[in-house]
Amino acid sequence: MSLPPFMLLRPRRLDEAVVRLADYGPEAMIVAGGTDVVPNLRAGLFSPRALVDIKGIGELGGIRFDPRSGLELGALTTLTAIAESSVVQEHYRVLAEAAGTVASPVLRNMGTLGGNLCLETRCLWYNQSTVWRKACGFCLKKDGTVCHVAPGGERCWAVWSGDTAAALMTLDAEIEIASPRGRRRMPLTEFYKNDGMDRIRLGRDEILSGVRVPARLAGYRGSYQKLRIRSAIDYPLAGVAVAMQLENGICRDVRLGLTAVNPAPLLVREVGELLRGQRFSPEAVEAAAHAVIRTGKPLKTSVSTPEYRRDMLRVFARRALTRLWSSNGGH
Amino acid sequence: MANFSIVGQRLPMVDGPDKVTGRGLYTDDLALPGMLVGKILHSPHAHACIRRIDTSRAEALPGVKAVVTGRDFPNRYGILPIGHDETAFAVDKVRYIGDNVAGVAAVSEEGARQALELIEVDYERLPAYFDPEETMKAESNWIHDEKPHNIEKEYHHQFGNVEQGLAEADLVVSERFACSEVTHAALEPHSTLAHYDPATDRLTVWSSTQVPYYLHLTLANVLGMPKEKIRVIKPLIGGGFGGKSEVIPVEVEAAVLSRQAALPVKITYTREEVFYAHRGRPIQIIELTIGAKRDGRLTGVKARIVQDGGAYCGYGPVTLLYSGALLGAMYDIQNVQFDGYRVLTNKPACGAMRGHGTVNTRFAFESLLDRVACELGIDPAEIRLRNQLQPPCITVNQLRVTSYGYPECIRQVVEKSGWGEKRGKLPYGKGVGIAGSHYVSGAANSIIRSEMPHSTVNLRVEDDATVTLLTGASEIGQGSDTIQLQLVAEELGVRPDRIKLVAADTERTPIDLGSYSSRVTFMAGNACLAAARNLRKQLFEAVARVWGVSADQLEARDDRVCAQNGSGKVMSFEQAVAAARQQFGTLEATGSYAPPAEARGGKFKGAGVGPSPAYSYSAQVAEVSVDTETGQVSVERITVAHDCGRAINPMTVEGQVEGSVWMGLGQAVQEEMIWNQGRLMNPSLLEYKSASTLESPEIVPILVESVDPEGPLGAKEAGEGSLAAAIPAVANAIYDAVGVRITSTPISAEKILKALRERQKPQARGNGGRR
Ligand SMILES: Cc1cc2nc3c(=O)[nH]c(=O)nc-3n(C[C@H](O)[C@H](O)[C@H](O)COP(=O)(O)OP(=O)(O)OC[C@H]3O[C@@H](n4cnc5c(N)ncnc54)[C@H](O)[C@@H]3O)c2cc1C
Ligand code: SF4
Repeated sequence: MSLPPFMLLRPRRLDEAVVRLADYGPEAMIVAGGTDVVPNLRAGLFSPRALVDIKGIGELGGIRFDPRSGLELGALTTLTAIAESSVVQEHYRVLAEAAGTVASPVLRNMGTLGGNLCLETRCLWYNQSTVWRKACGFCLKKDGTVCHVAPGGERCWAVWSGDTAAALMTLDAEIEIASPRGRRRMPLTEFYKNDGMDRIRLGRDEILSGVRVPARLAGYRGSYQKLRIRSAIDYPLAGVAVAMQLENGICRDVRLGLTAVNPAPLLVREVGELLRGQRFSPEAVEAAAHAVIRTGKPLKTSVSTPEYRRDMLRVFARRALTRLWSSNGGH
Repeated sequence: MANFSIVGQRLPMVDGPDKVTGRGLYTDDLALPGMLVGKILHSPHAHACIRRIDTSRAEALPGVKAVVTGRDFPNRYGILPIGHDETAFAVDKVRYIGDNVAGVAAVSEEGARQALELIEVDYERLPAYFDPEETMKAESNWIHDEKPHNIEKEYHHQFGNVEQGLAEADLVVSERFACSEVTHAALEPHSTLAHYDPATDRLTVWSSTQVPYYLHLTLANVLGMPKEKIRVIKPLIGGGFGGKSEVIPVEVEAAVLSRQAALPVKITYTREEVFYAHRGRPIQIIELTIGAKRDGRLTGVKARIVQDGGAYCGYGPVTLLYSGALLGAMYDIQNVQFDGYRVLTNKPACGAMRGHGTVNTRFAFESLLDRVACELGIDPAEIRLRNQLQPPCITVNQLRVTSYGYPECIRQVVEKSGWGEKRGKLPYGKGVGIAGSHYVSGAANSIIRSEMPHSTVNLRVEDDATVTLLTGASEIGQGSDTIQLQLVAEELGVRPDRIKLVAADTERTPIDLGSYSSRVTFMAGNACLAAARNLRKQLFEAVARVWGVSADQLEARDDRVCAQNGSGKVMSFEQAVAAARQQFGTLEATGSYAPPAEARGGKFKGAGVGPSPAYSYSAQVAEVSVDTETGQVSVERITVAHDCGRAINPMTVEGQVEGSVWMGLGQAVQEEMIWNQGRLMNPSLLEYKSASTLESPEIVPILVESVDPEGPLGAKEAGEGSLAAAIPAVANAIYDAVGVRITSTPISAEKILKALRERQKPQARGNGGRR
């Protein structure tokens, strides 16, 4: 499968890039590391007239940490850089773990944080070649009228399959968005629409320029648990991210995020309400795990069964909470 | 131990440097002036009649040089003489999603793609069959009219008396096993470059094939051209594993498109198309019964096998016959019954895949044997030893066994894996399992019935005293070039770099049947030895004359010829060649090999498959750990002993053994083609789960050299025999670890978890399992 023809634009500055996006409107598409865009183009999922390659924009790189203002990550920071950053490992463990599980070493060297947060949603009926999709009459998400996963419905359930978003949500991350009109900020939790077809709140002329994580959460214990068939390469089939603050064995604060089971990464807020102020007990963990599987709603979008993925959400929630809570050092 | 100088050396593979530096040329790297891009239109339906095809709009597209449909080249072909059911493109009917409907050749890939979209096909859909047991019940709309009830072939073999054997047993166990479909996933997708030259009326084809000779025959037949007008060349191959061991649609299609366009045409499959061409290991449902005496001696084995073959014959009946022929033949079992059905379904055709036909039955047999051992309270390693063959012998199904390193393999893996200290003694969640397997060193009977030698090798000494080795054998990454070179160098007593190898080019090299059934080392190897000995005879004769000694006093070694009569006379290889030239003019020799009549098996229907001049044996101990909350298994170590007769190159043998084990592990725990109404849901290397390096355990290879009386310097097969045992070894280790037996592959986390939950109470654990 060859790439379809397109124009490649390579702006050097952010303001120039957003103008280019505005110029081409819906016919433009951003490419950063290209590890998601390129396979999708080959599969005929998009046919943009212009591909705006943002990799040359210097101001989008870098990891900065300040104990007072927290962590700042440029959109072009590679997943390898995040996973290997000592600052991230030390202060925001859950993020380092999640970034380190993405795809494979080669793809992490190319893949960026921005791309990871803006990933296309995935489905076994969608991530296929044009010929394949045509043979089954296409589907709602692209060129068709039915959903093969939930026939009869009007919604697309393609799954959010990124690893870092759930981790960043547990860290109260905010994203920064640039457009020809300037910059705005938004909590990461509000960025996702939970719609397989239309995944993020990002205008056609907008670029996700960076991510900020508050200083307040520095030092939280963290754990990211990922279900996959192979220990490398594979997208998550389910993922649980937990960040927790402990004081003398008492849970002062905890957030739990889910990924790869719904069309968006989600925070399970109930977990915080259940566990805050408590000492570790298997019963408390069980109650939290129960809340998790009420939120996670896997469907038949992948090669693994929804039942197994749901089961694993419970196991992973239990494991992550137990690991962080019942031990002294965490790791 | 024989005193070899080159055989037994860890010589790096001769084709290695070109491959690792990227210099080597695979088919897709080749280009010719004016070359067109070919593309194929595939069926979107699993089963449908083609009412009408209109290609006029595609033909009118600028840049399109040829459009071909089924009616243009209707001659049927197939790898087996009994199974000529394929055509270049579907003539009136499509039989699976992905079946070949039409082909175009255009000046650009984009043009070819657009042309495909302009072809209008009017289909009339037919009821389709996807389940192997359901398809046998079909009363109408058979996939091939001439195959009633969608049964391609059935075989019923009875050796000894199974009912009596089972009646005499103290323990009889039965189980239904089910194996999912797996595929080769070779790194190189199939690719063919065909060049029909109208000026000479000749066709030259470069193709990613394991069988240039059969491709040559098939092209002549499909194109209606005389063989001498066709030349087939095999460039470097990026892995075959059986997926290139029969003629694949792309090869015929590139040729017919080139013929039509009168220009060179290249087609390289997309990965998705590789999955449609497939020919991998079929779904098999195996109902197996084993009977044993209290002391572990097996009194009978009975198997009913339903094999889901997909829509075409391919190697299917051979696959099935291997399942039956090798079912009981590695042990001394006097009563064996096999009932097998190769059925047709509306899915891509299955075929030969590493361990052809033997793998799924081995999984079933070795799993059930483990249960027999546990229920009788016998060590699973010991029960295998108690049932060993006593070679030389003929098995009940008339397979001749000349060398048998299996008992030694078992003893070695037991010792090196720490079996005795581990079995039943590791903490819950960890376990060890043992299993064995075997494989043919080449089929004793060729696919096309003929008395022709299976391999022929020519040697020619050039002016500069280099030796040209002309062989039809196909290097596909398994080491065939290196092994042949080592054998010839050994026999001629010359440096390996003196030998220049020319291989697998039907115009220049003698006939070799190809790289399948692990036949090359044995057969082309024997042909190499024969040719080298003939050549050496000429050299010695000439040197003997110069020295006035008798030829049998001479020895060739280290690039020299020496007299062994105490005279201390020595001559360099160059001088010897010069002397021989004086006497003979040119210096050439030929050698060939055909399996002896005694190795060709019985006379019953289906007896042709299974016989081999020699068999390899493998024993393995797998060590696993099971996560009892997620069901995930990790295989931590495989200790494997392989009886390869003689390791001509221990490094390449170890590579083959490790590769076989690794491939077996993929099928054991994670690989599977996932179907939905005949639609393959995972036609990509992302969703088809071949193991990554992280799931690849430590593999400890041990080579057992039983020195076969007929093998080249004692060698037997090494490339396939160690695959099958990996799967039951893991299954048995899982049982040792957590007490559940999974009877289907892949042994996924989900299946294990389900089995663990079903067996909730610890007391419910089977006999022999722990905790
Ligand atoms: C084999 C394979 C396995 C993979 N496994 C995983 C996995 O396990 N986990 C996982 O999370 N991902 C996985 N990926 C996906 C991908 O590699 C990563 O998510 C990576 O982080 C994407 O980053 P990128 O820079 O390459 O994105 P790109 O491909 O460049 O872009 C991805 C999407 O984001 C948009 N985009 C990129 N940057 C911006 C920006 N700054 N502002 C707005 N929009 C933007 C693009 O338009 C596109 O829609 C896998 C990919 C492959 C090919
Ligand atoms: S969930 Fe339904 S609509 Fe969405 S991609 Fe999958 S099949 Fe298509």
